[in-house]
Amino acid sequence: MDESGPTETGRIVVSLLSKQFGPVRAVDDLSFTVEPGSVTGFLGPNGAGKTTTLRVLLGLVAPTSGTATIGGRRYADIPHPTREVGAVLESSSFHPARTGRNHLRAYCSAAGIPDRRADEVLDLVGLTPAARRKVRGYSLGMRQRLGLAFALLGDPRVLILDEPANGLDPEGIKWLRGFMRAYAASGRTVLFSSHLLDEVEQIAERVVILSRGRLVREGTLAELGEGQEPAVVVLTPRPDTLAAELATADGARVERTGPEALRVLGLPARVVGHAAFTAGVELHELRTERSDLEQIYFQLTGDGGSEGGARGEGGGER
Amino acid sequence: MTELVRSEVRKLMTTQVWFWLLVGALALTALGVVGTVLADGSADNPGPGLVTAEGQRNLFAQSGAASVFVVVLAIIGITAEYRHLTVTPTYLATPRRSRVVLAKLVTYVLVGLVYSVLCALLLVAMAKPWLAAKGIPLSLTENRIPLVLLATAVSVAIYGIVGVGVGALVRNQVAAVVLTLSFLFVVEPLVAAIPWVRDHVHKFLPGGAAAALAQSTQPNATLLEPWQGGLLLAGYGVAFAVLAAMTTIRRDVT
Repeated sequence: MDESGPTETGRIVVSLLSKQFGPVRAVDDLSFTVEPGSVTGFLGPNGAGKTTTLRVLLGLVAPTSGTATIGGRRYADIPHPTREVGAVLESSSFHPARTGRNHLRAYCSAAGIPDRRADEVLDLVGLTPAARRKVRGYSLGMRQRLGLAFALLGDPRVLILDEPANGLDPEGIKWLRGFMRAYAASGRTVLFSSHLLDEVEQIAERVVILSRGRLVREGTLAELGEGQEPAVVVLTPRPDTLAAELATADGARVERTGPEALRVLGLPARVVGHAAFTAGVELHELRTERSDLEQIYFQLTGDGGSEGGARGEGGGER
Repeated sequence: MTELVRSEVRKLMTTQVWFWLLVGALALTALGVVGTVLADGSADNPGPGLVTAEGQRNLFAQSGAASVFVVVLAIIGITAEYRHLTVTPTYLATPRRSRVVLAKLVTYVLVGLVYSVLCALLLVAMAKPWLAAKGIPLSLTENRIPLVLLATAVSVAIYGIVGVGVGALVRNQVAAVVLTLSFLFVVEPLVAAIPWVRDHVHKFLPGGAAAALAQSTQPNATLLEPWQGGLLLAGYGVAFAVLAAMTTIRRDVT
């Protein structure tokens, strides 16, 4: 049963995973792999099933069907799980009346880890000054750091973080990015979820994109941008005339995006400009749109920004 | 398992609830001693006098007051895990939940024993000089008093198990505490007061079983034999332990 050779170690494999909550299929036939040595972003709109997938992976939720393994084993079958996998799932899972240090020490006992490790990880996340204060007085950013300190107790090979940047200020996000990159650079696995494309673009090298419980795309950020054809954006007072002219061109697909705006696929800007000239149509703008990851994200997840956009402030998942 | 119990004890000792509930247990024990001694010999006290063996056994069962506080402490301890979401790190550190449940049961049995020992010490420290001053001879080794103290400690410990079960089942902290206190302070006293139910139901409830085990004498109430009460109380303990395991092991933590 134990086939965790060197290549298996630290690899996360989700295979044909489904989870049904009553009438809701939160995760639907999901399969993907996360390799060690890089930071992987688990991206998807709120409610896409990211948290459920991570909770199944960590043995907190039982799957309806399929498997999720870390290093070839289910989480519950790992003999010393805290030494293999560290995870942060909620922004605050602490007793408010307990100090940060005592929180960690309680779990040192449970995991069979020496107590001094609690002070080490507090130092690692920069919480030493607040170690003996009750969590009640911690800011959201400090709670995130304490959660991360818990995840690091066993010096694990795999780090799994659910929406880790929620509530962090830009300084904190910068620190987190550096931390996650360094962690992955040492050959370990880092998987973090986010509903914010910005975050994933900034931190991750690989992405797994999820929408409505299903896998949409998996690969490096560079791979995702490939194969996307550039679009030509045109602003003109006579879009209908220009659209009619362009319709005669081979392979052109014209999309009306506003009362005076067109989006043209399949033609270079040069040809579009010439068509306008031939038709005698006045142009106010003619530009080629670079294939933007945001657009890809919206296209792939079929989410037209209904939740206020994937970029920018955004709300927390929980 | 030792490490897991240590983890649970640490969780318990690193918030202040245990201290205030211990103060409460000691206070209620003291109140019980004061009430029993002051009421002794009064004309309208239907209970046995303190000169009798029955009266002395009743006095020494007063440390059973710790039961209420131990059951509440256990409920607060279990429900806090759900309320503050610490159940997530708890299961991450110990994915085999049966071990977590077992560690919690062992922890609250130990807590019950410690609470009842401390309450018994206070009881002896109060009762011995007080009865001596009243000229009532009192020996801690006679009249089956060691057995009463032991029985009380065992029933307080079983209330710890009951608390773990109730907390795991109800999960809502306030609801679980209110439900349990209502049962202990409203339902049980009512059952013990209404004539027919008093004779036929009261003795089968945890309070009646604990009283029987502690060889208490209740005016107008019929109790089981001590061994029957002990078995019944143990049965309650097993039932609530099973309840704790069943409600914990398979449930999704979302």
